[in-house]
Amino acid sequence: MNNINSVLDQLASEGAAPPPGQGLRFAGPLLAVLVLCAMGVTVVFDGAFASMARHGMGPIAVKWGFSIALLALCGLALLILGKPGRPSNAAMFAVAIPFVPVLALLGFELAIAGPLVYGETWRECLAAMLVMSPIAFAGAISGARSLAPTNTRRAGLVAGLFGGAVAMTAYAPFCPELGMAYMAVFYLLPILTMALLGWALGPKLLRW
Amino acid sequence: MEDPADALDRLMADARAGDRKAYRQFLAEASGRIRAMLSRKVGADSELEDVLQESLIALHEKRHTLDPGRPVGPWMYAIANYKLIDHWRKRGRSRLVLDDEADMDVAADTFAGMDIAALLGELPEAQAEAIRMTHIEGMTNREAAERLGIGTSAMKLRVHRGMLRLKEIVDQPKT
Repeated sequence: MNNINSVLDQLASEGAAPPPGQGLRFAGPLLAVLVLCAMGVTVVFDGAFASMARHGMGPIAVKWGFSIALLALCGLALLILGKPGRPSNAAMFAVAIPFVPVLALLGFELAIAGPLVYGETWRECLAAMLVMSPIAFAGAISGARSLAPTNTRRAGLVAGLFGGAVAMTAYAPFCPELGMAYMAVFYLLPILTMALLGWALGPKLLRW
Repeated sequence: MEDPADALDRLMADARAGDRKAYRQFLAEASGRIRAMLSRKVGADSELEDVLQESLIALHEKRHTLDPGRPVGPWMYAIANYKLIDHWRKRGRSRLVLDDEADMDVAADTFAGMDIAALLGELPEAQAEAIRMTHIEGMTNREAAERLGIGTSAMKLRVHRGMLRLKEIVDQPKT
């Protein structure tokens, strides 16, 4: 009991005011990986938005609509998951929402045209996703560790989704491919794989 | 009579406004409530004290995760629960109770007349060191843990596993 009292005295002596800069410790790594990935693809690839001249705003609107919504919702979900005692079911439900219109469009495409998976630039697309997703995932984990996630599997899964969403957001302007099946195979599958990896690694990486 | 949950909220609000006495009071109040929760879930007293201490340190270190105006109770119990589960996980997913007497499962005269140094040489270094410190140098588990910079439960676990391994070695038939 005396030991606990001395711990309490020591903790109380530091005061209750939160240390400064906590918001930045969470948001900083998330924004940093987004900027890093965006700059990285600009250096490596040429012709951002080149396909807009031929196909208009539609394809990039679908890709960015999905990926930016996903990364914003994942950032918010990570913030909620990092605060102990906050219910997180709604946040988990919210991160699934961007998949709904994409899957609906995929179903529509499959119904009228069949699967259009092939795209000439699939290697670049896959390489970009495989390289950038883990980098962005690491940023999300770093941000989440500044908080106190008590459901580390959920937080890991969301960090994985965030990683994939950042990679897709960065690469999408350079992607000339159109099909929803292509998007499902070369964007959604890597994103979901990253999420699965996050779910598996969350308890180890987010332990505090 | 003030609602106990409100008391915690009020103390934390005062503490955040710069009142250190209120923060000390808040921590003492939180300590009592977490202890009551843990006592329903944890067997050994020494183990309870470890988890309680870890929970209180976590409450302090992660105090920025409590949003102003949100109730303290769910936040505090979520952290304590996490620390308890983490404690069980660290201990190898077993609910084995490690009291100070746990390694007395091995009878005191088991190693009588044997070359202890040679026996310890057959153990992993961490376990050998733990037994050397607690059973030869006479330190308590807590003192030895502090010396090595690990938790008391981890030290107890090392001693316990080491003693069981030693017993296995001694019990092996000689060839």
